[in-house]
Amino acid sequence: MQAQFSKAEGGVVPAGSLVHDDATAKWFLVSSVTYFFIVGIIAVIIAAKFVWPDLMGTMSWLTYGRLRPLHVNGMLFGWLLAADMGLAYYIIPRLCGVKLWSEKLGVATAALWNVIILGAVVTLLAGQNQGWEYAELPWYLDILVVVAWIMFGLNILMTVASRKHQAMYVTIWYTMGCVLWTAFVYLTGNFATLFTTGTNQANLNWMYVHNAVGLIFTPIGLGVAYYFIPRASNTPLYSHKLSMVGFWSLAFVYVWTGAHHMIHGPISQWLQTIAIAFSLMLLIPVWAVVYNLFATMKGQWHQLRESVPLKFLMSGIVFYLLTCFQGPMHSLRTVNAIVSKTDWIPGHAHMAVLGCFSFLAIAGTYFTVPKLWGKPLFSESLANWSYWMLMIGGLGFFTTLWLGGFWQGWQWNNWSIPFIDTVIALKPIWIVRFVSGILMFVGIVMFAYNILATVMGANEEAAA
Amino acid sequence: MAPTDYTYPSVYFAYLFFFLSFCLAVYFFIRSRRDGYWGDKGEDAKYQMFEEDETPRRNP
Repeated sequence: MQAQFSKAEGGVVPAGSLVHDDATAKWFLVSSVTYFFIVGIIAVIIAAKFVWPDLMGTMSWLTYGRLRPLHVNGMLFGWLLAADMGLAYYIIPRLCGVKLWSEKLGVATAALWNVIILGAVVTLLAGQNQGWEYAELPWYLDILVVVAWIMFGLNILMTVASRKHQAMYVTIWYTMGCVLWTAFVYLTGNFATLFTTGTNQANLNWMYVHNAVGLIFTPIGLGVAYYFIPRASNTPLYSHKLSMVGFWSLAFVYVWTGAHHMIHGPISQWLQTIAIAFSLMLLIPVWAVVYNLFATMKGQWHQLRESVPLKFLMSGIVFYLLTCFQGPMHSLRTVNAIVSKTDWIPGHAHMAVLGCFSFLAIAGTYFTVPKLWGKPLFSESLANWSYWMLMIGGLGFFTTLWLGGFWQGWQWNNWSIPFIDTVIALKPIWIVRFVSGILMFVGIVMFAYNILATVMGANEEAAA
Repeated sequence: MAPTDYTYPSVYFAYLFFFLSFCLAVYFFIRSRRDGYWGDKGEDAKYQMFEEDETPRRNP
């Protein structure tokens, strides 16, 4: 056995321990938290534009069409994926019992990632947009993403290859899955679509969009949950074998579900049916994960009162269950006929990306940052407030959009109602969406301030 | 088909990626069986983080 510590904990490390440098994890986490805050401002602005469409006038770079892709890409790649990568740089060396293969390569990856995100801000605001969902970035930034991902994947895989134990914990499996799957999902979505036209192009794009969530954010997010729930609760995972069932069933099922975005569209009926069938099969990996993590917490739920990371983690898992119950259900043709293309979909997507995977990443950040910098968290109370702001705001946002989306879908199915009337009717929904967005943004500000104050050592300054 | 329409080559390109990832998945799945993830010692991996990380394990 060899105890493991972060370099910043130098004063209390016993002799013979494995000391991790963690420079890469630090760079990724600090930059991702900063982007979370900045892109949060964009989120509030575009929510406000639903209520006041004339807000910010006609300045082209502040129009909805430019801010919305910036919000989506900023949250997905600037905040969430970067935070998950930072957490992977923290977790994988510890689970492997070795140092990260190359901290220099890791820091270079973090620098390149920041160049990409800043490039995305400039190009998207300037109106350079490929016009595909989640693949809006211009091709030259796409190439940089591929280079950065190769650097990340190489570092992770080489670290795993030099591991001390033959048996790999499930988090390592999920992280390796994310490295592999992201490679082909991103290449397909951002490059193969360049050479297609019409329905095939749309089908490839939706394959990418759905698997961006299912094969990029899901595996790395679940890897984070599988590591931090046992660590934060100090309780071993209920069943490693069950976690393997979840991993392999996810690997088998997820990639086929993208076409359910085109149900009732111009694609073949057999392809739609396959997408529906595999969407329903998603309940297998989802239930394997949720049951395992809930069983891990058996007899330990009281710890949620004291632990903010556990609050975020278990809420994220509940949202994962709800998201992945919704997904298969609205892939059914009858349900899809009502909710497809309505406000239901952003409600569902926000529950997945914010309610589930961002909650898991926030938990990991709250857990690791005090260890990485060797300082206590700036404020436990503020962390607790950030949880409740994000939870209350998130619930208001999700439920309002589901109800509004269903209402919108019923109206669209009634051809006697003019389309503009269905837009006007949703204004009360969008007001609640905006207010909920404000609450979520306050939660983000509290989280970002807490993390950055911890990093800057504000606690020590206050004590002095 | 127009000379600039690369629909079929690109779809086959995507199929190639699917095929490669499918082969890798099959390889790793078979290897996971060989490495004992489904046998008697399949639960060992979950205790490693408690044995080696800085927090002592509560429930062995």
